Amino acid sequence: MTFKKLVQAFIVVCGIFTISACSTTGSHNSDGKSGAAGASGVQTAGLGQDSDSFGGRDGSGAQLAGKHTYYFDYDKSDIHQDDMPAIYANANYLRAHPHATITLDGHTDPRGSREYNIALGERRANAIAEVLKSKGVNAEQIRVVSYGAQRLAMPGHTEQDYQMDRRAVIASVQG
Amino acid sequence: MRKIVAFLLFPFLLFAINANAMLSMELTRGIASAIPIAVLSFAASGNTSSQDPSVIIRNDLQNSGRFKVADQESSGIDNVVVGKIQNVGNNRYKVSFELREAFQKKSAPAAILLKKDFTVPEQKLRALAHHISDLVYEQLTGIRGIFSTRLAYVVVQRSPTAPTRYLLEVSDQDGYNPRPLLTSLDPIMSPSWSPNGSKIAYVSFENHHASIYVEEVVTGSRRLISEFPGINGAPSWSPDGHKLALVLSKSGSPNVYILDIGSRQLTALTHDFYINTEPSWAPDGKSIVFTSNRGGNPQIYQMNLASRAASRITFDGNYNARAAFTADGAHIAMIHGDGGAYNIGILDLDTGAFRVLTHSDSDNGSPSLAPNGSMILYDMIYGGQSVLAMVTTDGSVQIRLPARNGEAQDPAWSPYLS
Repeated sequence: MTFKKLVQAFIVVCGIFTISACSTTGSHNSDGKSGAAGASGVQTAGLGQDSDSFGGRDGSGAQLAGKHTYYFDYDKSDIHQDDMPAIYANANYLRAHPHATITLDGHTDPRGSREYNIALGERRANAIAEVLKSKGVNAEQIRVVSYGAQRLAMPGHTEQDYQMDRRAVIASVQG
Repeated sequence: MRKIVAFLLFPFLLFAINANAMLSMELTRGIASAIPIAVLSFAASGNTSSQDPSVIIRNDLQNSGRFKVADQESSGIDNVVVGKIQNVGNNRYKVSFELREAFQKKSAPAAILLKKDFTVPEQKLRALAHHISDLVYEQLTGIRGIFSTRLAYVVVQRSPTAPTRYLLEVSDQDGYNPRPLLTSLDPIMSPSWSPNGSKIAYVSFENHHASIYVEEVVTGSRRLISEFPGINGAPSWSPDGHKLALVLSKSGSPNVYILDIGSRQLTALTHDFYINTEPSWAPDGKSIVFTSNRGGNPQIYQMNLASRAASRITFDGNYNARAAFTADGAHIAMIHGDGGAYNIGILDLDTGAFRVLTHSDSDNGSPSLAPNGSMILYDMIYGGQSVLAMVTTDGSVQIRLPARNGEAQDPAWSPYLS
């Protein structure tokens, strides 16, 4: 099986996002940094662009096979079994491209307390990350961010909306 | 391109009786035993440009739910507020008021309970009206008024044609003068006022990860406080203002820490692999309550800071989170669930008695106590949108604050500011 076969172009959710991936490495706690009006206080570091472009023809983002959004049941971070093949395929890709990195975003529906949902969203993203790591993906290739209920997939308040909100997403691929 | 702009906040620069306030209050239920009071229009002399403090005083007292306010004296009304406003030149006004009993015995004039005058610049007239409301409220109820306090909250502006915008806003307690402290294209959460009201800590997702900032309310300048890998969340000020309790998941799962702001020293309070979050300090500084699912579902635990022993304190329902103390340390408000919609509940720490204060079909959250302990500010879904609301701690009075330029959520009531 070769990843040169384009299954689908990987579309970054909200393609205007850019990632400063250096914050995965070690703890970084800036102090005394006062922001004046207009200062964004951004720390950025490039990944050191060793672009083996096995990736997309347009040079941006790499390809991951299959689906990259995984859904969860209410208040749960258990992965649905039928998502496993797609996760394994993503693990294979990342193992084959050790310079590739991904961001896993964790999300919840808006019910209940916001900060508890941040923790629950992180559990969901971590659950995916653990499967990837158990398949040999390097921890440095994975960055986890939880948005809790702060970036809802659906703004409504029906159970159908909530089902679409409870998800972990491979939101960005670099390399 | 992400643009984060911190706006300068000048407290009294924008004086106007602003009819387009972000929040406007609708009293949805008041207590039957509200105190009848008449607040007469203030007599004007000189060119007062129709400024009349009595309008604000009437609104303040009526919206507290504890007064039934009229603008004329009549039988059955025992208390009257009268006043005068006079233009004394240079954009300054002399304002005087009296709170007196309405009835007059044949041989005695009406008793005067309060009488004061002030001279203030025009831009302070609104604040002065709120101050008069505070004086009248305390005189007649025995409780310090909260009409000069402020609300902080997050506004979410969703649009089909533009990226979602998030603002951290501060308004007067009646919803007027909303001003942004932060505008962002990434989420903002969990505003928390410092004990003297000069700073607000909050979580910002700028740069695509959670960080905690502390921003000066007056100048808008801010400092990055916490940016560890993983969660940085739920900042909560210690009563002495020197420390923040917060949540970090750098250990692998969310735990509660105390950060000494001056020394940067970080102390872990919890050390397990459960979800521990939403710390909140007791007013006496001796304990912290927090949310944990170590028992299976989210419940509130209280940790004595000296012994570090934590014990569960909520036993009603299957979900209790986001605890907030009343100022006297005797009660805790929280989000409460028992299988249906989430509502605001209140726990008496001495007796263990638990009461649910809201009864909606849709979710309520983020309770924040007024500094006089009498009311809880929270968010709720109304008409499919998140709006702010208030309920008294005995559940008898409810107020809804309809939002106008976005959804309002995650509110925090300021401490006393004057």
